[in-house]
Amino acid sequence: MDKYSLYAAQFLGFKEHFLPKGHHACQGCGVALAVRHVYKALDRYNVAIENANWQIPWSPHLPLDTTSHPNTTTPSLLTILKKGKDEQISAPLMICFDNETSKNGADTTNLLKRIPAIAAAAGYTYAATACPSHPFDLIEKVRTGWERHGAAYIHILCPCPVAWGFEPQYAVRIGRMAVETRIFPLYEIAGGYYRITCEDEYPRPVKEYIKAQKRFAAWSAKKIESFEQDVKAAYDMLIGQCRTSSSQ
Amino acid sequence: MALGGITFKHEKVGCAMLAGGNAHPYAPGTKPELLPVWDKNLCVRCALCYIYCPHAAINRLDDGFFGVNQNFCTGCGICHRECWFGAVSMQEVD
Repeated sequence: MDKYSLYAAQFLGFKEHFLPKGHHACQGCGVALAVRHVYKALDRYNVAIENANWQIPWSPHLPLDTTSHPNTTTPSLLTILKKGKDEQISAPLMICFDNETSKNGADTTNLLKRIPAIAAAAGYTYAATACPSHPFDLIEKVRTGWERHGAAYIHILCPCPVAWGFEPQYAVRIGRMAVETRIFPLYEIAGGYYRITCEDEYPRPVKEYIKAQKRFAAWSAKKIESFEQDVKAAYDMLIGQCRTSSSQ
Repeated sequence: MALGGITFKHEKVGCAMLAGGNAHPYAPGTKPELLPVWDKNLCVRCALCYIYCPHAAINRLDDGFFGVNQNFCTGCGICHRECWFGAVSMQEVD
């Protein structure tokens, strides 16, 4: 990283499309940050995001009637229909804002995401994972998903200070920790080809991520150890898929 | 109004507001405990605080430095934590 890449945020522009006036998000909300990045990414395409299918509890585009809100324990989903050049073919760009607040969210099986692989197997031409702690990666993936022909799915991990139990000022840092410990590796599946977009040779210990959050307070040392092995196995499987898909 | 020796200067019994016009709406995050303050000697204008603000409360000023919109800031402190140079500090602002 050279010294000028620090200034990359200047190239995104300072025009703000995300209206914070009406939203009721908490301090350090990861979903709000991710939604803002999605707005920034789709800025150049003249997309009317307000007319898309919102399933976000605190969205300013929904009425304040709590009975009509979707269940907050389900992941928030944003579906935008992409219009083809001939206006006949339309495919969805689906973005899942996952803050892991479901009832069994702290379970080991739910922490390791396999939904992008399922989406790719179901015929989505582009599936990817992203995190708002890596904003340029997220913006690049949303733009790629919009420009590619066919349906696209993007899974965004959004740290939630309230449900996960950490200070709001660490919201971005916890998301970065999830990427660096390889619990939530950033990769994309473009037309069947796997590619890891953010790779570190030496990962952080998984224990750091577990100890930083109160939702894992009940975890024993044995469980953490078995979870470490699960993370390693999942990442090895991902690397194997990268190799096999590129060699074909 | 006196109640057993205790005197209430402003409030009626039960804190009832008898006259209208006592309440007016606040924007979300109007009264955060702490607000970010930029040290212009340390700031290099890299816009990292701007890109990491969840509530879009940070805006660029005319001289290239950054300022906060007090109506939208919730005082979460992400900008303070993510600044590489320690230019953003959280301070109590009246």
